Amino acid sequence: MLLGRNSRSGVSLVTLGIPLTLVGLLIATTAHYFLSWENLTNLSGQMTALLIVSFGQLLVALVAGLDLSVGSVMSLATCVVASDSPLWITIPIALAIGIVVGLVNGSGVALLGIHPIIMTLSTMTFLQGAAYLLRAVPGGHVPDMLASSARGSFLGVPDSLLWSVICALVLAWLLYRSRFGLHLFATGGNPVSARLNGVNAVRVCISAYVLCSVFAVLAGLFLSARIASGDPAAGQSFGLDSVTAIALGGTQLSGGVGGVIGAITGTIALGLASNGMNLLNVSPFLQSAAKGLLLIFAICAQRRSTVGL
Amino acid sequence: MIEARELSKSFGPTKAVDGVSITGDAGSVHAITGENGAGKSTLMKMLAGVEKPDAGSIWVAGREVRFASPRDALVCGVSTVFQELTLLPNLTIAENLYLGREPLAGGGLARKTMLTSARAILERIGLDAKPEWLAGGLTVGQQQLLEIGKGISADASVFIFDEPTAALNKAEVDRLATLLLSLRDAGKAIFYISHRLEEIFRFCDTVTVLKDGRHVATVPAASIDASELVTLMVGRPVGELFPARGATEAAVALDVRALVPGPGRPAVAFQLRRGEILGLAGLEGQGQREIIRSLAGVEKPERSDIVKTSREGVAATLDPRDGAIAAVKRGIGFVPEDRKTEGLYLNLSIYDNVALGKLKGLPLAAPAPRVGKLVDEIMARMQLRARDARQPVGSLSGGNQQKVMLGRWFAAGVDVLLIEQPTRGVDIGAKAEIYRLLREFAQGGGAVLIVSSELIEIAGLCDRIFVARGGRLVAELDGPGATEEALLEHALDAADRAAVA
Repeated sequence: MLLGRNSRSGVSLVTLGIPLTLVGLLIATTAHYFLSWENLTNLSGQMTALLIVSFGQLLVALVAGLDLSVGSVMSLATCVVASDSPLWITIPIALAIGIVVGLVNGSGVALLGIHPIIMTLSTMTFLQGAAYLLRAVPGGHVPDMLASSARGSFLGVPDSLLWSVICALVLAWLLYRSRFGLHLFATGGNPVSARLNGVNAVRVCISAYVLCSVFAVLAGLFLSARIASGDPAAGQSFGLDSVTAIALGGTQLSGGVGGVIGAITGTIALGLASNGMNLLNVSPFLQSAAKGLLLIFAICAQRRSTVGL
Repeated sequence: MIEARELSKSFGPTKAVDGVSITGDAGSVHAITGENGAGKSTLMKMLAGVEKPDAGSIWVAGREVRFASPRDALVCGVSTVFQELTLLPNLTIAENLYLGREPLAGGGLARKTMLTSARAILERIGLDAKPEWLAGGLTVGQQQLLEIGKGISADASVFIFDEPTAALNKAEVDRLATLLLSLRDAGKAIFYISHRLEEIFRFCDTVTVLKDGRHVATVPAASIDASELVTLMVGRPVGELFPARGATEAAVALDVRALVPGPGRPAVAFQLRRGEILGLAGLEGQGQREIIRSLAGVEKPERSDIVKTSREGVAATLDPRDGAIAAVKRGIGFVPEDRKTEGLYLNLSIYDNVALGKLKGLPLAAPAPRVGKLVDEIMARMQLRARDARQPVGSLSGGNQQKVMLGRWFAAGVDVLLIEQPTRGVDIGAKAEIYRLLREFAQGGGAVLIVSSELIEIAGLCDRIFVARGGRLVAELDGPGATEEALLEHALDAADRAAVA
């Protein structure tokens, strides 16, 4: 039930095979260093922000949407918490910003019928500007309580892994145990049929965008804790990287097929590819080209017509 | 149990349903029948909550109800199995059964409850599947059973079946019949929309015949025989709708020696002569569509041996596999059934849509010739009702859109027209004008092949008629003297004919 035609998770041999192959290659080429505690902890820290934002991207992709604004939301969140105000003010503000952005994106797409790319491109540009207005250059101070929550470890488990696990559990409950999750898959499968069956497709779609932005805020909080400052450009690469990650994980951007496992394996695949190429001293330009090839390979190798969608 | 009073519904200028009243009684199967376009499906869509009636009221168990959605209707006990199924392929069987009214436990979905009750429903409808399976993996017949299961699980008291057997094989039809009769015996009211006579007489207690959106008759099925029912379905004066037939020339425009529309399909052969309108009749889905589409090059035929003779008398082989553009260059114009998505550019003007016919074969960079005069002439000949040639085609009525479609091919100067459903979505006045235009085209040396599911149109307009059944041409009839009854007789398969006899 986990693999193949009888699943809507999108997980296939390819989605599992890519990260496993990369792990194998890295162990073979860099042996000791890759498996070192230092590198693994480092890896977990590098991947967590991408993983959390990919979780949000997954929710939107399940209703055939796309959210390019997540990167700007992350940047803005780092700038907000790196101001001089205490956390009990800044974190609610950051979350509120996320909710408003999600409402705007979702309403534009679901109510006004604006194409997701155009809609979220607009909010992305707007929020990027807002982040630079708030903090023109990287700097500021992230309160110690937040900063320490991402850099230490708890009972031997790296904090970054805890962030990932908690977010994954919340997402899994949403997708597989809640009514919202079922309606999300239904809307992504066929919005007209879903409506005929009593699903409020508009509300489901808006909720998906709101949750996506909230996940992006969480990813931004984690990122600010790791870099210990606010950076208006910190999230820039995450918009497209999160789309790449879920696509590598078998999510169909046409909606209705995808899952938590796929988002995790996709993120790991992308993270390992970067980590491995860094370890091997591959030039950053070549790295980008290689990631592009990896994505197109993963898309081509996957069955396009899972469950008849 | 359920009662519709004086329901009416219009789409644009056409009245799809006009003041129809109908009653569904508990423990009885009520057939709704009539020709294509008689308003059966629209009537049922109003009862199902898909369409909102313009006038009239619906009463369930003595109370007036208004449905905003099919889910509303289901809450009031009306379950519908639509022709286009509404299952979600990426949800499991259990999820599909309970979508929109999921049982909850502890703030989340009660998955165990869903699985247990889904298992009971599957057993009840005789579907051999596990509730964890995705619905997308089921066959159409199984999906249909599952749709019925949705109604059963919601404890509906009224079931509506919209042509449920169209896509089913014989074993599946039998299973459906068993289920239908068990629902009837359980005291449900059932509406059964179909034009298959055999099924009507096999399952149904009462028959209502609709025609052109109006109620013709409601009679007990036992009090009527099949031929009387057919007469009720088609009997109407043909009147002056159709122009007088002309003389067919001896010259053959299109000699189809063999055409195999797709793998495993039987080969068909026929000749299309100049000056004639040839009809291809049959019930829907009997292969007519594949034949005309593979002839036009829209679909690639498996094999073909076709000779096209031009107006000047030059004969050459025509291979539809070269595609529709090559066919147009050889003088063959195709008018598709769905002109809005396959034929016309709705946001472009009449001029652009017609002048396009003049552009065939020009290289991309060639300047487009100005053909304003030609388009004006064609618009006049068509009696096109439009402001001027700049009006967007999307704002015209169905009949005028169809005239623009024909105008494009007249501008292109084709001599063979292949037309699917020439008057679908066209009101009665424009119908007569389109028939006249086709007749004029034929008399000017053109040849026309039409595929239509409206038997009256085929019988009234065509010079010669082939009847298709199961992909074969099973009969050839002369146009003058052909009756709808005779066509229907040939179009029905053996089982249905036994019921008529």
